[in-house]
Amino acid sequence: MPNIITLKNINKVYGTTIKTQVLNNINLSFEEGSFNSIIGASGSGKSTLLNIMGTLDNPTDGEVFIDSKRTDTMNKNELADLRNQTIGFIFQFHYLLPEFTCLENVLMPYQIQSSKLTKDHINRAEELLDLVGLSNVKNNLATNMSGGQQQRTAIARALMNNPKIVLADEPTGNLDSESTENIYQLMRDINKKFNTTFIIITHDKGIAEKADRIVEIIDGKVKMEMELGS
Amino acid sequence: MRLPFQIAVRFLKSSKGQTGLIVLGIAVGVSVQIFIGSLIQGLQDSIIYKTTGTSPQINISSTSDDKLLPNYNDIVDKISRLDRRIINLSVTSDGPVLLIKDTNNYSVLVRGMELEKSNKIYNIKNRMYEGKLPKNDYEAIIGKELQEELDAKIGDTLQIIKNSGEVSQLTITGFFNLNVAALNKTWVITTLQTSQKLFSTGDKVTGIEMQVTELFKADEIANRVSSKIPSDLKVENWKAQNEELLSGLNGQSVSSIMIQIFVLIAVALAIASVLAIAVLQKSKQIGILKAMGIIDRTASLILLFQGLLLGIMGSILGVLLGLLLSYIFSKFALTPDGQPIVPLKIEYGFIALSALIALASSTVAAVIPARRSSKLNPIEVIRNA
Ligand SMILES: Nc1ncnc2c1ncn2[C@@H]1O[C@H](COP(=O)(O)OP(=O)(O)OP(=O)(O)O)[C@@H](O)[C@H]1O
Ligand SMILES: [Mg+2]
Repeated sequence: MPNIITLKNINKVYGTTIKTQVLNNINLSFEEGSFNSIIGASGSGKSTLLNIMGTLDNPTDGEVFIDSKRTDTMNKNELADLRNQTIGFIFQFHYLLPEFTCLENVLMPYQIQSSKLTKDHINRAEELLDLVGLSNVKNNLATNMSGGQQQRTAIARALMNNPKIVLADEPTGNLDSESTENIYQLMRDINKKFNTTFIIITHDKGIAEKADRIVEIIDGKVKMEMELGS
Repeated sequence: MRLPFQIAVRFLKSSKGQTGLIVLGIAVGVSVQIFIGSLIQGLQDSIIYKTTGTSPQINISSTSDDKLLPNYNDIVDKISRLDRRIINLSVTSDGPVLLIKDTNNYSVLVRGMELEKSNKIYNIKNRMYEGKLPKNDYEAIIGKELQEELDAKIGDTLQIIKNSGEVSQLTITGFFNLNVAALNKTWVITTLQTSQKLFSTGDKVTGIEMQVTELFKADEIANRVSSKIPSDLKVENWKAQNEELLSGLNGQSVSSIMIQIFVLIAVALAIASVLAIAVLQKSKQIGILKAMGIIDRTASLILLFQGLLLGIMGSILGVLLGLLLSYIFSKFALTPDGQPIVPLKIEYGFIALSALIALASSTVAAVIPARRSSKLNPIEVIRNA
């Protein structure tokens, strides 16, 4: 399998007078269709790394390739387009749009690229909601759902445009263990079904170990990479 | 264009209280604007009507020693064909006399008029409160104040002495009230023939009077008239005679525009500040939308649409409110005899303009918040959960 994401010599430094080096010469690649987890202590730089991979943040220096296109030199509109088409995000605090219903939230990534909403796309959104088990609450406003339901909505939304990559930052950070287990199972299923690449930051060792590969970050450096046979 | 519009609508709907307040704010601004504008315009119109509506707006007199206009028929004829805006053309024959009652004398002005024609200018018929218009020779009507002074009744005889020293008599057939004490006290209105006989002026008159359909073009029309008639005739118009009134009205217009501009600025500032808060409140949403791939232009359009929508709702409500306010004012703010204190002048063009300006300023007010929305970096939102 070819690499879908490649990071070359990535450094991230915060501050101008007092400099904090948050990422230190990171070289990493992720294979298309793989299921990866990133672990590390709080403040070690995991989120920073993930945000750079998602083109939301810029590295201080180094090169980022997504789907073999170099992104750190793209302009903002090109990046917006790339994110919309290629990357699905699941954040720790799910970040649904509270003004919209569950179904509308799932449709949003599609509506961003095309304002013509077809029956096909509504069907796809409904299938995704079915997949995450939310058919019965699809017309609820985002604020009228439980935390786990909101997180599952965010997963369905991340998948709406059939992205090659899903980046998830502690997607189950504030859920109970049973919901956590369900959501991981769900992401695994999707990974198998659609060959979507998953890169997931987690604190949960048990969960991390279910991935194909674990990357551990310590003080802004890749400390350990472990391939796990599945 | 559709997505930012839909999102804008949702954002406004989701905070109904806030949306309602700002719409009300714009509406109050627009309605105050409409009300003040209509009030001032109505006020000015009524002042001008009161000063010029029932008097000649252009008059012609002679500068010759005897103050007489010979061949007036030719002149009247010429003027009547000169300009379609000239109306209510009529001639008068006036002369000063002394009125004698017991041991008192009063200096008054005998005004001989073509009563049917002059009535269109002075509206005398409707302003007579007793008796009827003079018809036969040596009949006359006098004003309210003079009647009170003389304690006169219909049928009484007026003793008058002309400049020549000759004494004549006029019979009173009625009383008028022109609502101007100076005129009521000094005018003795009679027929043209009576006046011409009284002063032995034969077939001559002392003045030609007219009104115009375009009140504010009176000076221009007067100039045209002046250029077409003999140069020893003097043409005067109401604007030249009322310069102070006009400059006063002008000052009023300027202050009314000032008020309206300040109202507008207040409205625009209110919208700008509400939308600035909206950007802060919705920055999480805008950030997440950007992470999902909306471009900066779309992000700023959301705010512009919010401004536009607030402006539209505010303007519509404001126009309704303004009309309601005007209606209430004209129905309930009445003089003792049931007339509106100030007759409002509702001009649809002005209302449309007020609404349009409010709409434009709400959109302009949204520009700064829109730029902030455009510049918002999604990473700030995502990092600071
Ligand atoms: N804007 C910033 N300016 C300065 N330092 C920052 C900024 N953002 C993050 N940092 C620092 O960068 C380091 C890495 O932060 P990051 O959020 O990537 O950590 P993390 O591994 O995701 O931690 P956690 O597990 O708590 O989420 C931290 O020490 C943090 O203080
Ligand atoms: Mg983090």
